Amino acid sequence: MAGRQEPPLLEAEGVAVEIGGAQILREAELTVERGELLAIVGPNGAGKSTLVRAVAGVGPLSGGSVRWSGRSLGGIRGRELARVRAFVPQRMPLPAGVDVREAVTIGRSAQLRPLGRLTGADRAAVDGAIERAGVERFAERALTTLSGGELQRVQIAIGLAQEAPVLIADEPTSQLDLGATIGVAGLLRSLAADGLTVIVVVHDLALASAVADRVVVVAGGRTVAAGAPAQVLTPQRLAEVWGAEAHLSEHNGRTALHVAWLPGTSAPPVEADVRAP
Amino acid sequence: MTRRTLVFAALLAALLVATLASLALGAVKVPVSEVVNVIFGNGHGGPDQKIVESLRLPRTVEALIVGAALGIAGAVLQGALGNPLASPDVIGVTGGAGFGAILIIVLFPGSIALLPLSALLFGLLAAALVFAFAWSGRNRGSATKVVLAGIAMLSLFTAATTGLLAAYPDKAPSAIFFIAGGLTTSGWEDLETVWPYFAAGLIVAAFLIRPLDRLSLGDDVAASLGSRPQAIRLGAGIAAALLTAAAASIAGLLGFLGLVVPHVVRMAGGTSSHAYVVPASAVGGAALLAAADTLARTLRAPVEMPVGPFMVVLGVPLFLWLLRKAV
Repeated sequence: MAGRQEPPLLEAEGVAVEIGGAQILREAELTVERGELLAIVGPNGAGKSTLVRAVAGVGPLSGGSVRWSGRSLGGIRGRELARVRAFVPQRMPLPAGVDVREAVTIGRSAQLRPLGRLTGADRAAVDGAIERAGVERFAERALTTLSGGELQRVQIAIGLAQEAPVLIADEPTSQLDLGATIGVAGLLRSLAADGLTVIVVVHDLALASAVADRVVVVAGGRTVAAGAPAQVLTPQRLAEVWGAEAHLSEHNGRTALHVAWLPGTSAPPVEADVRAP
Repeated sequence: MTRRTLVFAALLAALLVATLASLALGAVKVPVSEVVNVIFGNGHGGPDQKIVESLRLPRTVEALIVGAALGIAGAVLQGALGNPLASPDVIGVTGGAGFGAILIIVLFPGSIALLPLSALLFGLLAAALVFAFAWSGRNRGSATKVVLAGIAMLSLFTAATTGLLAAYPDKAPSAIFFIAGGLTTSGWEDLETVWPYFAAGLIVAAFLIRPLDRLSLGDDVAASLGSRPQAIRLGAGIAAALLTAAAASIAGLLGFLGLVVPHVVRMAGGTSSHAYVVPASAVGGAALLAAADTLARTLRAPVEMPVGPFMVVLGVPLFLWLLRKAV
């Protein structure tokens, strides 16, 4: 690999998280390079969200080391932390009467001094985030009037207004219908194509294998595999980690997850297995 | 003009009317033109000028400051705790201040001058205990923990106050005025003691406006933006404790104002953006208390009644009317 002297954008080793006496994560690892779209997958309760929250400095971190561009997470605070990464939660509360533009402006406020006012550059950044996330059509509407898909885009716009090089989205599509999921997935993919590094926690393995450059599998509080989707999401791993008799197929960028939902279904034809691009 | 700008302008107009009424009305009516002359240093001397300058002006200023302080305290607490029931009462301050005041009234009536100081100190002590409990153990600094610790502390101090009054029933009448909330004409001297607490609370509140907007999008978004949610809540608690304890020390227990005024301005303005809600609550609180105090002084003049009930009578119908229309 070239550029050995430049540290990875994010390097987390031996990440451990204990919450209320329960060990949620132990020995989790995560390395992210610039401009990639990384999907974090795993069963419910495996620790996916806990891992991204810990490395983002949003959730607790009990042990291990987390470095952003070589700098220890513990030494990055306040506005500086806001410039390192943006964290987009699954669902944010919706304050009454606040419209989309105001919410995105709040996202920009991370760049301001405590009593400093918005500059022209800040307003331009807000406009840019609104346009980039595709929310200008309803930019003047109140948050409380938006659909789930529209809200998720607004949340991403709030993150984009931070102008951090990394956007971390925690299950952005888990409450969305098919169309909205496609829209948000396409948005995240295009952001990565523009050079933004995107880390996304997802449940949908077909979606992860379609949009991600790499996937990381979290199971039982550990990261158990990382690599290209085709190499990682094999039928054996789906069986080991999810206890599912299933396989992924890919054809011209379209992906499908074939699952034996009920016992007694016949085995799939071998050639349908997921292929490396 | 946006709706919030209109509402803010209306609040400023109400503030002006209430201030002029408070200066002009009372046992003796002073013409508004003379009030304006006195304010701008062009008074014609005589009793009218004396009444306005030495009796009504300090009292009016005190009403404005106390009203604004309680409005701000309620606004930052409701924002920080994300709880519509949050008010200066729920962080224990009014309970502590009430106990501190009644303690002096009942046990040390000879040192009544110490009442504001005692109310202030016990108010801050109650808040400090609330934060100490809320910031210990698991899930430290969560909004629920703050509210529950606050309610518990309020009950504790209220019980102690009631106990004192029950043990010395002869002193109860002189305690009523403090408990119901009332302003006095000794405004300047009162303010001389407690103004640093108002100033400190105001400064902390001003710095909290933007962090509170971040917090309104949830703890996670606030953390993404580099803020620490618990630190914002602690800061809001400190600002509210300073403002409320200072207010209670000179005007008694008027915590209700801090509950209602931020809701009224939020519902009227149609937004919960703190850059609007915090200043609008200050203006609205000041206007409401000045108006209520004018009523309390004039309805049965020259008898003065406690301002608290009048504030409730003015504020509650407006609150309920807006609540009916709110989503």
